Amino acid sequence: MPKDAYDTGKHTPTFSAYLTIIVRDSKGRVVNIHRQRSHSPTANFIALLLPYNYYSQINGSKTITNIGGGTCSYQPQPNVSAYNIIYPNANASYTPPGYLVMIQVGTSSYSNTFSATSLAAPIANGTGTGQLIYGSVSVASNIAVSGSSAYFQISQAYANATSNAITITEVGIVVQVYTCSANKSSPTNCGQVLVWYDVLSSSISVPANGTLVIYYTFTVNP
Amino acid sequence: MITPDLVSEDDIAKLTIPDDQSLPADEPTFKAYVEAKVYDREGHLIQYHRQPMRSLTQYFLALMSIPIQGTSRSSSANQAPGILTNVLGLPSEVTNLAPYGSSIWGAANITWGWSIQLGSGTQAFSLSLTSLAAPIANGTGAGELVYSSPTVSTAGASIYVLISVSNGTPDTINVTEIGLIGTIYLIYYNSSDQATTNTYNFLLSYDTFSTAISIPPGGFATFQITLSFSG
Repeated sequence: MPKDAYDTGKHTPTFSAYLTIIVRDSKGRVVNIHRQRSHSPTANFIALLLPYNYYSQINGSKTITNIGGGTCSYQPQPNVSAYNIIYPNANASYTPPGYLVMIQVGTSSYSNTFSATSLAAPIANGTGTGQLIYGSVSVASNIAVSGSSAYFQISQAYANATSNAITITEVGIVVQVYTCSANKSSPTNCGQVLVWYDVLSSSISVPANGTLVIYYTFTVNP
Repeated sequence: MITPDLVSEDDIAKLTIPDDQSLPADEPTFKAYVEAKVYDREGHLIQYHRQPMRSLTQYFLALMSIPIQGTSRSSSANQAPGILTNVLGLPSEVTNLAPYGSSIWGAANITWGWSIQLGSGTQAFSLSLTSLAAPIANGTGAGELVYSSPTVSTAGASIYVLISVSNGTPDTINVTEIGLIGTIYLIYYNSSDQATTNTYNFLLSYDTFSTAISIPPGGFATFQITLSFSG
């Protein structure tokens, strides 16, 4: 194999992703700002990103595994019979297309982030012991451009309504995936799918009655 | 109701904008390479070149947004996110009808293909580049190369896109630029109940070679783009 063409430690990657976490106490004061590179698209993400010509060549499908352990086969093709990712339909009564469900947080970690299909120990939405209230997830509506660099961002806020601090060690992006063909009436519900997963470089403690905001930033030519 | 944030939007923006230099020098999220191998008419390897890919466009980022945030703004919106409409120029929604003579209604859907384009010019990079400076056409005429179908393969979190070209002309052809091409297919049945595929073409990356790749008469070459996430 040839040597790595990168000048290790000096090059600027053409794509990067960042995780920014801001923690506030019960009075709204910032008590922790955490930044790290985000590293880990999952196997589900790669399967969804691959172009149809990959699937043509292997003449087969990839398995998408959702956070509940359910699976579906994915084999996109540019024809009316293939089950591709659903696009928004003007006929509103029809099955909705896929959407960003949440940036999920958890209290454990997986060592093999690529093969993760769910968080190791997801924190539930609620006010019970060890739970966080999940706010609405914010979808990027556009790409921000600065010179030759561009990025988009998704974010979500959380509140700890319990009387104890909650420690977060893992974060992941969960997307609802549906596929359907243009000429068949039965869509495939692939469920809620983990497409990106990160173990935090240091754990984050959300104080009692404190809040948390997580930002994922995806950029080209940073 | 959770307050999204308690500092100003300016403060948030400063904290969350890309800033690679302020982070520890750990493994980057992503590496990408452009690789070329040139063979003479007898099949001998006569040139090998590998360099980092430098320049993904905004269209690559927009395409990536589909597996990250889906094709709808929310669970109830049933309209495409602004990235898809503003950057890729896709419609916010599509009216999909049943095939002619059928009462079965499917769903409009989306997929995409990738290929590689080679060129003999150079140009400054911009995020919104739509083509190479001087694309080399497919053929055996002067200055043309015969392109094979691209192959796409994967290993773990790496994706490889490869194309082979041959030079059927009597002259050496110099390749100085390369682009990853994406074609999006939007598939549905239109208002006349006819199967319809709208296509949208994009330049997903653009790079110039630090050394020209010279393909001799009767020779052939392979060009590979590697997209490797750290995983």
